[in-house]
Amino acid sequence: MSKVDKRKYTDEADYGYNLRTAREEAMRCLLCIDAPCSKGCPAGTDPGSFIRSIRFNNVKGAAETIRKNNILGGSCARICPYDRLCEEECSRCGIDKPIQIGRLQRFAVEQEKALKMKTLEAPKKKKPFKVACVGAGPASLACAAKLAQAGYQVTIYEEKDKAGGVLTYGITPSRLPEHVVAFDVKTVKDLGVKFVFNTKVGKDVDLNELGFDAVFIGAGLWGTTLPNIPGIDKKGVWTAIDFLKEGRTKKENFYPGDNVIVIGGGDVAVDCAVTAKLLGSKNVHIVYRRTIEEAPANMTEFQYALSLGIGMTTNMAPAEVLGDKKIDGMAFNGRDGVSGLKLKADAVVFAIGQKPEDMTAIAGVKVTEKGRVKATASGKTNLAKVFAAGDVVNGGKTAVEAVKEGKDAADSIIAYLAKKEGVK
Amino acid sequence: MAVKKDLSIEYMGVKCENPFFLSSSPVGGNYDMVAKAFETGWGGVFFKTIGIFVADECSPRFDQNDKAGLPWIGFKNMEQISDKPTEKNFEFLYKLKKDYPDKVVVSSVMGSCEEEWVQLGIMSEQAGADLIECNFSCPQMTSHAMGSDVGTNLELVEQYSRAISRVTKLPVIAKMTPNITIMEPAAIAAIKGGAKGISAINTVKSITSMDYENMTGMPVVNGVSSISGYSGTAVKPIGMRFIANLASCPDLAGVHLSGIGGIESWNDCLDYMLVGARNIQVTTAVMQYGYEIVKDMINGMAHFMDEKGIDDISKLVGMALPNLVPAEELNRDFKVIPKIDNKKCVGCGRCYVSCYDAAHQAIDWDDKKRRPSINDECVGCHLCLNVCPVKDCILPGEIKWKEGRKPVDIKVKQDYV
Repeated sequence: MSKVDKRKYTDEADYGYNLRTAREEAMRCLLCIDAPCSKGCPAGTDPGSFIRSIRFNNVKGAAETIRKNNILGGSCARICPYDRLCEEECSRCGIDKPIQIGRLQRFAVEQEKALKMKTLEAPKKKKPFKVACVGAGPASLACAAKLAQAGYQVTIYEEKDKAGGVLTYGITPSRLPEHVVAFDVKTVKDLGVKFVFNTKVGKDVDLNELGFDAVFIGAGLWGTTLPNIPGIDKKGVWTAIDFLKEGRTKKENFYPGDNVIVIGGGDVAVDCAVTAKLLGSKNVHIVYRRTIEEAPANMTEFQYALSLGIGMTTNMAPAEVLGDKKIDGMAFNGRDGVSGLKLKADAVVFAIGQKPEDMTAIAGVKVTEKGRVKATASGKTNLAKVFAAGDVVNGGKTAVEAVKEGKDAADSIIAYLAKKEGVK
Repeated sequence: MAVKKDLSIEYMGVKCENPFFLSSSPVGGNYDMVAKAFETGWGGVFFKTIGIFVADECSPRFDQNDKAGLPWIGFKNMEQISDKPTEKNFEFLYKLKKDYPDKVVVSSVMGSCEEEWVQLGIMSEQAGADLIECNFSCPQMTSHAMGSDVGTNLELVEQYSRAISRVTKLPVIAKMTPNITIMEPAAIAAIKGGAKGISAINTVKSITSMDYENMTGMPVVNGVSSISGYSGTAVKPIGMRFIANLASCPDLAGVHLSGIGGIESWNDCLDYMLVGARNIQVTTAVMQYGYEIVKDMINGMAHFMDEKGIDDISKLVGMALPNLVPAEELNRDFKVIPKIDNKKCVGCGRCYVSCYDAAHQAIDWDDKKRRPSINDECVGCHLCLNVCPVKDCILPGEIKWKEGRKPVDIKVKQDYV
């Protein structure tokens, strides 16, 4: 018999460090001359520096490094795919196992909060330019923070009632507790960035009328995707986004059903399955159409799901939603053309990727055939004053990559506005 | 098959089942503690120092310091001698010797004047102790007539050694303070006075770390602190140096030495024995880990002796002394160039950084391949070997002879842990 982890929906999945255990871990660091871990971080969080700071008993310095480089350092510490980024680059892998960089980052950010540090500052004298950011997810927050620190007046428009985007609505709280996101968001707010919630740009407000000097689109992917299979409109069929949001909103008052099937192989699929399991569903099963090796989710996420007693089947594609008006099962076809699978289900969640909503409604930017905003690596679109980055451009990557892209787009915006300033 | 070795050794004319003793400290302060230690395997005890003076202790009284999260590299204590009535302590000794006749009970004593030393000597013998140790070395006594203030005063050391030696037939040991430049004169004074053995070292006067709340040292006693004795791993190299000096001193030839300072494993015991200690005393490691540590001392030492084909543990005493020579006797004609194993190297660059910033800029760094290589500037200091975090990645390699020096056969260490 295997011991299965039992925990509540909001219980944290992992333990943190205290000063003593953090320093013990930092002691394992080889303090590499070229810090390959730092090169492995898309957002430039610079673990090489902050681990060194912890090693030499300078926790405040560590927290400063993180916040300065990655405005979402607290959230990234919880959800980054370290095994594919900084920790994969760690030289200590050549001896035994990498330094637990994510956990050290978490510790430093927790200390930042506990010690009431104020790490970032926006200049008191503002530049005479206003920038709007569309969406309050990682890309926008990173872009807004950088612009605010450079003295620009930034307003973030968010359709929902809270900031954070996928961090707030798309990940289980066991993996990313709300207070962690809230603290990251607070550091953005403290820079003087204004937040306008419950306001959808292009529908509730027209940017052209608000007189912004530049616009950043970091709207993410909130268009839902369901496959075109028989029975897809039955009650009990969920998109991942709606399912996770329901969990986040109602918490323990949401019971998805006894038998829940999650379809997909990404982190979002794992999050949906974990949500169902932690909310009390007895049988939770992930079904993926390819192999685990091909799955985009992290191995650590799969392992977490397994530790909770969640089952997994691969090489099975959804064929039909079974049941009368309400779902009572799912049928799958095997990838090999021979196998098949039928599972009892009270709910099925499709976590097979999201797509952008209609971005042309925002500012008339050019989009790709998949509806993504067409933008360069530095966030420039076809319109001089409109910039874009994050999932809405890249089609859905990690939060840490969105932070990097948001920062880069901010640089482009600063360069664009600097030219205008010269003219003024 | 599990190894079994006879670790018994004769020390100061007393047969000891093994050389591993508790030193006079909090770890051997009453009957129950010492009884438990004996049951666990300790060969003997230097009982917590008994005086006519009964200590009045402060709270708190301990601190430890760390390195990069590793705690207890050193330990500081402010405790003095026993805080129990003199008679009570001698009752403990009497009962221990009665119940454990095969274990060795050493009466550690401290007087503040000649009369007290005499009195304590007589009482020790009456209590049935096997040996007497004179504590001339506690650095945190509240009276200057006792402790290391006596141990640094050669006349007093000799006078008190003589006073106590005259009134007892028990062999007397003098416990030395390391808070001096050289220890030999104090040891010689003790022997002149009639002592037959020397123990070293007592604790090193110290301030471990500062407290920023009260702007004082640790531990904080009502907002202030005091300088007091430091022990544990960090002082082992200092203790070994003193033992080696005493063991090599012609005026102390034949004097039995007991080694103290930072001992926690069998090889710490072995290290002290190799430089001349015939007996081993431990406190700090027991304070951190308990009496149980003696089991690995006994077993580990037995395995070492088995490996080396040694049956008599006393053969180890001073075995390394002939190979410890004055700096002027070292052969300085050659340099041993380290060799770097690129396959084992993980590319951290620590050797490069240390060599550049702290040695001779003798390592080149290939930042694309992330590999170091040794250049012609190398002087063979082996700083790189010492900082490399990978086992056996950097080891001694080619021997180069300095210009005009005559090559001879030399020994190079190859096995690094």
